[in-house]
Amino acid sequence: MVDIVFVILAIFAIGGGLGMILFAQPMYSALSLIVCLVALGGVFALLSAPFLFMVQIILYAGAIITLLLFIIMFLNIKDDNLPDEPNKITTIFVGGVLLIPFNILILKAFNTLPSKPMHILGKDFGDIQSFGIELFRGWLVPFELISMLLLAALVGAVVYARKGSVDG
Amino acid sequence: MQEKEALMADSLLSYIALAMILFSIGFLGVIARKNIFIVYMSIELMLNAINLIFIALGRYYESMQPQVIALIIIAIAAAEAAVFLSLIVVLYRKKKSLNSDVFNVLNQKDAAHE
Repeated sequence: MVDIVFVILAIFAIGGGLGMILFAQPMYSALSLIVCLVALGGVFALLSAPFLFMVQIILYAGAIITLLLFIIMFLNIKDDNLPDEPNKITTIFVGGVLLIPFNILILKAFNTLPSKPMHILGKDFGDIQSFGIELFRGWLVPFELISMLLLAALVGAVVYARKGSVDG
Repeated sequence: MQEKEALMADSLLSYIALAMILFSIGFLGVIARKNIFIVYMSIELMLNAINLIFIALGRYYESMQPQVIALIIIAIAAAEAAVFLSLIVVLYRKKKSLNSDVFNVLNQKDAAHE
């Protein structure tokens, strides 16, 4: 059962990813990326990370990609604004062939780990409570640094997007 | 059927393989496409593939720490999204193109003079 769910989610994720890099229109690419990210969220749930499953759906599919879709619609892109990519398929194919040895190397490295059953753990692993305990006991300083990073990104985005900032 | 189940969803290697395939797709998107939006989305896909490796290893070692690292990566991706998208808006207003080859000038004065 878990096997079938994993295969379906993997097919959706890989199909969404391939659609993302193959579509010419950025709008279709963003919609494909949403499919891919939601399927990846399902894989997170299979790996007993229900909190990260929610974060993936809400934050990625709900916030980041929706912001991206807003920007794509807001810019009102015509077909002649798009760059022409004549040898896109060739580059993707040749690059994919060249990446195979790298992937085999990584898989061989992980293959040295002893195999272990990966069934879904109980409800005290990966839920909000154990996640929060781990976050605020062991990772408090990175958490505070993340808040400063988000503030800096907020200020930077406002400064960039302000009208006339580039001319001045 | 039992053996097949042990091969697919029960082993760490299938999750790593899925993550590596997605990482490769994202890498190919970065090197093969010129549309700046596709490049951005490919970077997001690569971050997600690395997240998947972290979470798979966290399940493998039954530790919560990789999940916290994955959440931090998601927060960094959100910050990156804000800055990247506002940069795209500014550059698109200037150049009227989405070709990443056109965006070779990031100096404010040079960009203003062109």
